[in-house]
Amino acid sequence: MPTALAFESVTKRYRNGVVALNGASWSIPVGARTCLLGPNGAGKSTAIRLLEGALRPTSGSVTLLETTPDAPEYADARRRTGIVPQSPGMYTDLSTSDYLDLVRRLYGRGDVGRVIDAFGLGPYQRTMLAELSGGFRRRLLLAAALLPEPEVLLLDEPTVGLDPVAAHDVHEFLAAAMRGRTTLLCTHNLAEAEALCDDVVILRSGRVLLHEPLAELRQRVAPRLRLRARQPVESLAAALARRGLAAEIDGDAAVVSVDARRAAPELLRDLLGEGIDVFESVPLEASLEQVFLDVVRA
Amino acid sequence: MRILLGKELGQLGRSRAALVSATLIPLLLLVIVPIPQLIAFSKVPINIPELPGGGPAGLQSLRGADFFVQLLYPLLVTICGLIVPSLAASYTIVSERERRTLELLIALPVRLTDILLAKLLSILILGVLVTVPLFAITATLVVILDVAPAGTVMLLLIPLVAAVICSTCLSLLLTLLARDFRTANNVNGILFFPVLIATVGVLGGIGGSARFFVLGVTLLTLGAIALVIGARWITFERYLD
Repeated sequence: MPTALAFESVTKRYRNGVVALNGASWSIPVGARTCLLGPNGAGKSTAIRLLEGALRPTSGSVTLLETTPDAPEYADARRRTGIVPQSPGMYTDLSTSDYLDLVRRLYGRGDVGRVIDAFGLGPYQRTMLAELSGGFRRRLLLAAALLPEPEVLLLDEPTVGLDPVAAHDVHEFLAAAMRGRTTLLCTHNLAEAEALCDDVVILRSGRVLLHEPLAELRQRVAPRLRLRARQPVESLAAALARRGLAAEIDGDAAVVSVDARRAAPELLRDLLGEGIDVFESVPLEASLEQVFLDVVRA
Repeated sequence: MRILLGKELGQLGRSRAALVSATLIPLLLLVIVPIPQLIAFSKVPINIPELPGGGPAGLQSLRGADFFVQLLYPLLVTICGLIVPSLAASYTIVSERERRTLELLIALPVRLTDILLAKLLSILILGVLVTVPLFAITATLVVILDVAPAGTVMLLLIPLVAAVICSTCLSLLLTLLARDFRTANNVNGILFFPVLIATVGVLGGIGGSARFFVLGVTLLTLGAIALVIGARWITFERYLD
């Protein structure tokens, strides 16, 4: 499958000496929806800026739609890419329709009226960008990125700082926008990544820790079981410990690494037989958060 | 680049603060201050004391209205030509950096060269559009009052346009050095100091109409140096920093 974007042994050292990426290599095939996860300072935004062509790697090479930023064809690759930057400043002297018209002319295509309708920006066409609320700013950035119907979408923390309602709105727009389109979603919102992406790249300190499909990643994590009993949770944990199971206390529940399908019935019979009145037993699906924490802490 | 130039000119046109400051100062320097002096020089013979040994070439034989046309007004014209682009640069270049709107722009398919070229051209266009008509008012009065021939007055356009170009090129250094308005004002002061020294040196040191040509060449040379230094050092990384 052709590659939409690739990093080959990319190191980016800033002028102040900070190394944002350190020999990072990863690539995304055309059509993939990949999230780039990592704690603050992992190098996510630097990766986006390298793809924008705004930064040059100190060493290694960055490829977007099979061209490098130095190549003459890169301008064409950029015109096939929509980018949502992370919380940029907003113009006080440019209205929503002025800005979208500027975007249309720079890309050389797009229907401003269509995206204004699609993103509910109609009432704000004459509003200056700086006067838009946080949620509408993100809608505008998404509208601008999607205006030219790009093949590739680069999203840098598209919902950071939004209230839950505005974030939910943006998620709905994103889900529709990402369908059938190569997407790189930079985020540290794990629920967002889980809901919108198929693959995960995890960065830490500028290095790629992992690059896998989300489904495969979930299978690597041990299945867990959440138990609640009428007795205090400490008694439940002690009973589990006697069976060689280290329990993690979560409120009034104990969470143990057990394959619910295979081992839970026997475990429950044992516990009930010992007089521990278990009244709840819930198999937990491995969450991306758990996977992320396991990988980053490892 | 044409699209970005349109954006820059549109934003400058909409910025009341930029337009007011870019018009008021030239109005003061090119019309309000020089016209009363011009009238005074043309009506009353002003006795300028002879300097010991005749003084520098540029100050010899300057009597009455000559002093205005050859020295005072060219100095005001040059200062004005330097100030207007620097004010516009604060609005187009520094504000983009200070308000982080540059990040919005680089998400679009544009090159740094196009962004900067559009900004410099808009500054140059504003500089010429503001200063030349105001210069024309006083220049017309000089000719009407028969203080100097039209040809000499036209020569004053050389330092004016050269100063606008020089200041526009210096804006590129402003891009590298200033992150906010306050720093921009300080940096402008530092950048203009050697230019003003050179201007006074040329106007006082060279006699006759040759001074306008030499001043024009000097300003364009300083502008070219700024342009080369700026072009050598500016990258997106530095502008975004």
